[in-house]
This record gives sequence, C-alpha cells and structure tokens, in this order.
Amino acid sequence: MKRYALVLALVMALAAGFGCAKKNTVEPGYDDGLTPEMRAAIQQITDARVYFTFDKFDIQPEYKDMLKAKADLMKQYPSIRVRIEGNCDERGTQEYNLALGERRARAAYEYLVTLGVSPSQLEMISYGKENPAVQGTGDAVWAKNRRDDFRVIAH
Amino acid sequence: MKKILLLALALSVALGAFSGSAAQAAMRVDIMNPGQNIVNLALAAPLKGPQTQAAGMGGELQKLVEQNLSFLPFMRLTDPKAVLGGVLLPGYEPPALDFKRFQLAGSDIVITTFWPDGDSGTRPVQIRAFETHTGGRLFGKEYSKVSSRDLPEVADRFCADLLEALTGNGAFFRSTLAFVKKAGKLSANVWLVKPTGRDLRQITNMPGEAMSPAWSPDGRFVVFTHIDPKSHALGVWDRSTGKVQRIRFPGNVVIGPAFMPDNKVAVALSNGKYPVIFLLNHVFQKERVLEQSNAINVSPTFDSTGTKMAFTSSRMGGPQIFLKDLNTGSVTRVSKNGSYNTEANLSPDGTLVVYSRMTDYGHRIFVQDMLTGMERQISFGPGSDEQPSFCADSYFIAFASTRKGGRGIYLTTRHGGDAKQVPTGGGAASFPRWGMAVTQK
Repeated sequence: MKRYALVLALVMALAAGFGCAKKNTVEPGYDDGLTPEMRAAIQQITDARVYFTFDKFDIQPEYKDMLKAKADLMKQYPSIRVRIEGNCDERGTQEYNLALGERRARAAYEYLVTLGVSPSQLEMISYGKENPAVQGTGDAVWAKNRRDDFRVIAH
Repeated sequence: MKKILLLALALSVALGAFSGSAAQAAMRVDIMNPGQNIVNLALAAPLKGPQTQAAGMGGELQKLVEQNLSFLPFMRLTDPKAVLGGVLLPGYEPPALDFKRFQLAGSDIVITTFWPDGDSGTRPVQIRAFETHTGGRLFGKEYSKVSSRDLPEVADRFCADLLEALTGNGAFFRSTLAFVKKAGKLSANVWLVKPTGRDLRQITNMPGEAMSPAWSPDGRFVVFTHIDPKSHALGVWDRSTGKVQRIRFPGNVVIGPAFMPDNKVAVALSNGKYPVIFLLNHVFQKERVLEQSNAINVSPTFDSTGTKMAFTSSRMGGPQIFLKDLNTGSVTRVSKNGSYNTEANLSPDGTLVVYSRMTDYGHRIFVQDMLTGMERQISFGPGSDEQPSFCADSYFIAFASTRKGGRGIYLTTRHGGDAKQVPTGGGAASFPRWGMAVTQK
C-alpha cells in the first residue's frame, strides 16, 4: 500500500513538472489570442533597440527609421502599450546615470509621440547602469549597454 | 577709584592668563589642518586590583578599544613591549600610576581601565585617560552594569569620549553608516553598520534595487531611491516602527534623496524634460523647487545650516558640481577640472566639498576647499572610488571602492591617506552615508 502511495506521488509530481514546463514555453502575457501579425508586431517593437553615445541622449539618425516602424505598428495596434527602459554603461556614476537613462527613455518617447503614437500607449523608466544587457567592460560592451529597451507590457 | 579699576584690570588679566595656560595644559589634537599631529597612546593592562590583571571582560574590552583606535589615522598605539617595566601597573591613577615608563616609550597618553568589582558577570568599569608628560587627567568615566554583551558599546562610548576630549568631536564612534548591499541584477537592500564594522544589519527586504540611502538628522528615518521593474519610488525606513514605505511621485525618476537639517527631504524628481531638485514637506509631499534648469540636476547635499546646497548638474555639458546659496539663490560652479564630476557631498561645517571624478583609470575622489577653491585628490584607486560621504565631524569620509575587486566601503579623511575597509560581510557594498547612532532592537 505504502509502495502504491509513493508511486502515485511520483506520478503526480512528474505530471506537475510537465505542466510547469508546458507553461514556461508560453511567452508570458503575449500569446493569448494573438494573431500572427500582432505577434510579429510585438516582436518588431521589442527586438530593435536604440543605442546612444557616451553621456548623450539624442536619437542618432540611424535609429529614426526604426522608431518610425515602431510608431507605425503602435498606431496600427493601439492596444499595445510599451515601456521604454533607458539604460547606461557602467562608466558613469549611479545617480547621474539614473537621470541620463531617463533622458534617453524620454528622447525615444518624445520621438514616438511626435510620430503620432498616443502617450497613453507609452511609459518610461530609467535603470541607470543597473540593468546591463551585456556583462563586462570595454568599448564594445559599453556601446551595447547605452540603450533604450522597448518592452510590450499590454496588448 | 582709578586705583581700584587698575587693580581689577590687573586681576582679570592675571586670571585670564591663568585660565589660558590651564586650557593649554589640556591636550588638543588638531586634525583639521593638513599637518595633523600623531598621538602616541598606550593602553595599560586592565586592572581589577593592584597589579592584578582583569583578563576576562577586561581583556575583551581592551581588544575592542584597540580595534576601534586603529581606525584613527592620527593615533599610534604604543607596543606594550616597548614600555620598560611593562603595562601591568600597581594602580590606575596617580600616584600609583607611573608615567615615566610611558614617557620613555614615547607615549603621549596612557589609558587605564579599572574593574573595581572584578570583570565577570555584570560589573562597573572605570576608564581614565592621562597625559603622560603633565600627569593631567584628560577625562575619566565609569560605565555601570557592564556585561559581556555591552562591551562593544562601552568600547564605542569610551572611544567617542576620548576622541571628543582630544579633537572636540567624537561623532565617528557615535555614528552608524547606512549603505546598500547588492544581491544581484536590480536587487539591492539597505543595511546599517558602525564604521568599525560592528552591528551589521539589514533594514529593508524589498524586491528591486535600493540606492542612495540618507539619514534624517534626528536618526529616525533612512530615505532611499527604490527601483522596481516598473517604477522609481522614495523608500522611507522608519526606525521607530522598523517598517518601510514606498512613496511614488508623478513622473519617472526619484534620484538621490538627502535630508536638510530641518528633517525635510530634497530629492530629484521628474518635472517636464529634466529632473528637478524638489524640497518635500514633512509628509514627503512636494513643497517647492530648490533647483531646476534646462539640464540634469541631481544629488543635492547640504551643510549643517541648510543654507548651502551642492549638487550635480549637466548645465554646462558634462556633469559638474555646483553650489547654490539657498539664501540668495546664487549658483556657482565648484568643480573646474575634468569633464565628469558627480556625487558631491558637503562637509557639515560647510568648508569642504568632496566629489568623484571620472579619470582614465576609474573614478577618483577629490576635495575642494570652499574658501580657497583649492582642489586636492584624496583617493588613488586602484579600481574606482565613488560616492564619498562626510561624517558629522567633517573629518572622516566614507566611500565605495572596487580597489580589492568587489565593491566595498572604505574610510579615509579629509586629508586622504591610507583607506581602511569597513567590514560589511559578503556582497557588494556601496552608497555609504553617515548617520546618528542607532541602538539595535
């Protein structure tokens, strides 16, 4: 009897484990009821980042087309809400970098609003240098960390 | 009548001369000027009777006092072996106290400790400090009902009293540092520790990143920036309840809070395009703007009068340190060298501002004299030295450094010199900020 109980417990634990694994394959929050077009739009908005030069927050010309594409998608899908996350490299100091990160997020925010995106679809946060995309030091690493991330938070 | 007046004048001059010489007899150590003198200090063996060493609590207290005094760069402990006849004395005060042996060993001061009722259980202890050359007593105190558990506090209180007797300010040993300990990416909490490394404890336990803790002058609150994945907020830890509030403000940023002497908080908050330094009222609501411009303005810091505010601003391009006279509203640039100066901290006496500068080798700490405008580098790495903060005595400076790899907290002085690490346990420690003593609950 005791052996059957152990086997039953093992089977239930395995089932629970498989259940978790299945859930983890689903992108959190994105998949329910998404059309392939919307999923692609979300992917496009999320994937492309804006990068900055050291201690600067102006949008470089090479990122303007990319932001325009994001703006078009957000106008096409007004249910999409995006959080713009401003980040800095590790060289600056933390408090100043929080302000700089906010200016970077705001630069993209203002550009998107200028292109016709509703402000209600956007929010901003600065992580300063606390959320690097790439660990390490050196110019190549720093360049990848001075960025705006675009996170879809609702659709 | 004229004769009486002359006599009175002569008498007052004579009395003045006497009191002047009496004041000179008390040893004073000038630690504020660059050529600070070194004080040689000897610790006599703790006694519980004539020639009878107190080896229990007496020995433990002695070790704690030695550890404490090692944080004072102007103090040199006399090697007991250098004292002819040894440091075990027939008595704890003159005439049984033989000053000559300490003079010969080069000691300026000798400390005696006497446990009149023995040194086990809960007992009183008397500690005295004498000048070896004059035999004069600098001070003497009895600490009653001392148990083994109380020894660190007794050591701190004694060292604070000694420091105050010598320099006029014992704030170092009465202070508690608030700092931030990192647990991972976007994960850090606020901790407290004495500058000697004792009484280490965590006071917040929140998901997200805590930064920039700052003490209220009354020692009741620690405020800090708190960042979770969605927002910035002002964290407020209340010592009286042990609870933490998370206060949100309109906009996106809450950066670098600092208390003013009247217990109000100044903090950089969003207000349109750029962060603006706001003064909050006593219930942490916006009261008025302290500084704004078409540039980043962050990291306010105040002197003890609350009339001077140093801050970081990008109004001239890169970040630089500025000083605002809050009475007149005039703003002057403080940092004139380097293209990236941030993290200013004003000395409470308003005479110095300390800040970090980005160099080719990492950040380094500089001090500028507010009267002369002279700037001096006081840290030299290796690694990066950041987030300097003045103690209430305007002498000690705590800062964060990666000089040993991981980030830790170090102590130096307004004159620079060898930095001593504050033990903070495992994990990267940063953002040291001095505050009043906090008794552990």
